[in-house]
Amino acid sequence: MSSAKNFSFFVLVARNLQNRPYRNIAMVLSFAIIAGTLFSAQYLAGGARQSLETGMDMMGADILVVPDKYAAASQAVILTGEISTFFFNDTGFEKISQIPGVAKASPEIYIATLYGQACCAGPVQIIAIDPGSDFTIATWLKENPGVTMGKDDIIVGSAISGDIGSDLLFYGHTFHIVGRLARTGMGLDMAVFTRIEDAYTMANESGVKAVRKLTIPPGMVSAVLVRVEPGTSPAGISDEIKQRVPGTKTMTPNGLLSTISGQLGAITSLLYGSTIAVTLISIPLLGSISAMVAHEKKKEIAILHALGATKSFIVRLMMAESFSLASLGALTGIGIAVLILVGFQDFIAFTLRIPFTIPSPLMIVAYAGSALLLSIVIGGIASLYPAYLINHSEPYETMRKGES
Amino acid sequence: MSIDKTVNAYGALLALLGIIIILTPWIIFPVCEMEGSYVITSTGTKLPMTCGWTARAETGIGALIVVAGGLLIARSTRETRQAVGVFTIAMGALVILFPTVLIGMCKVATHPCRMTTLPALEILGVIVIIVGGYLVWKPE
Repeated sequence: MSSAKNFSFFVLVARNLQNRPYRNIAMVLSFAIIAGTLFSAQYLAGGARQSLETGMDMMGADILVVPDKYAAASQAVILTGEISTFFFNDTGFEKISQIPGVAKASPEIYIATLYGQACCAGPVQIIAIDPGSDFTIATWLKENPGVTMGKDDIIVGSAISGDIGSDLLFYGHTFHIVGRLARTGMGLDMAVFTRIEDAYTMANESGVKAVRKLTIPPGMVSAVLVRVEPGTSPAGISDEIKQRVPGTKTMTPNGLLSTISGQLGAITSLLYGSTIAVTLISIPLLGSISAMVAHEKKKEIAILHALGATKSFIVRLMMAESFSLASLGALTGIGIAVLILVGFQDFIAFTLRIPFTIPSPLMIVAYAGSALLLSIVIGGIASLYPAYLINHSEPYETMRKGES
Repeated sequence: MSIDKTVNAYGALLALLGIIIILTPWIIFPVCEMEGSYVITSTGTKLPMTCGWTARAETGIGALIVVAGGLLIARSTRETRQAVGVFTIAMGALVILFPTVLIGMCKVATHPCRMTTLPALEILGVIVIIVGGYLVWKPE
């Protein structure tokens, strides 16, 4: 008996929806826009945040110390992979490791390669590390115990072409790929990691082997990665570094996240604004459409009453129709957004100049869930007025007046 | 009669999708050679990059999808609809397979063909397959 009731209920919902295809398509589209824009805003902000967290985890640094006048260039190297070659003015970076609260400090040299590399469309960023103090690649090497970084060995970012075991030529010097880092969505994906001593060898040979000579001033570095001792504030150490080593700029993961939020601000504000605007417009619009439908269905509802359907059954029927349209629209909007955002993720990151990676499946489900929930709530609110109309109508009067 | 109109609308949609597939690698989301990037041999000859050959193959597939759409508009019987549906699913699969497996795109992730043309063709391929599937399994 109960299964027959359920069958009747859902068949009624489905047939009612099929009876007004064009109006329902318009409502589905409204819900699709609301859910799609909300999902897109959350997805973009979440993808950028996750990319930064993954990248900074990989770097393992609490503070990045760079020359003051190259702060923007350093940020571009880290975040979006824009290449650059620069150095500190003097060799005072050793002082950083002596500051109380600094657990580890590791120097890095940034070298922009020439155009026309076999691996890549344009030049790439070589990051030369000191294996003795490094904790970026060292962590990765610990996780990949079969890999060692010997003479002329390089570990490449995920976006660099070339198989492990193959060779790459930079400034006329041949390097051997021994490992590939996981995708971070940051500039690290377009970087090549080598040892500082190999970078010096490459620079020394470049006068003869390369079309342009590379000069690395002896003892100079481009950046220092700092890991603070547990319980120590990176902000306090940053201030101390700036005082003790003049001409330096410090960057922290939180600072970089603020930069990205600023860059993303316009697009996320636009998307969140669109969601609010469409929501505000659609609630009265959908409400009046539902009220029109309720008015049109007065006779049909009166007949259902006459057949024994209770008012609560009719209200549930109206709510079910509204929730079905909201769910269908939200799922359509989210589906289209996923197709576009996943398909064009590299283009989006490149255009917005932000680090970006696909958020974790759990986060995607959470974003989709919140967009779906918002649509269903709007659908519920929109069906309240017609439900009220139905509850206050007299079936006998309606049938007698012959309203249809 | 109304069924014929629906089928005709799907024929027109297929023809439109075919045209979009033809235009995508050349105009809408151009491949590398449209941006002036070529492979230059040791003799100085300019050759299209990998994505250029994919673009040419997609042009052919797009033309076949236009023909399939035209066929559906001209003759909208059940058998034609189903046959065009099967053909369309296969064409949709090829729209995806040419840039991903059969020919491929440039290896570098920042090339325009990888950032825009590839995802656009993948999405178009999925839409073509969905339309084909609907034509095959459409209820009478």
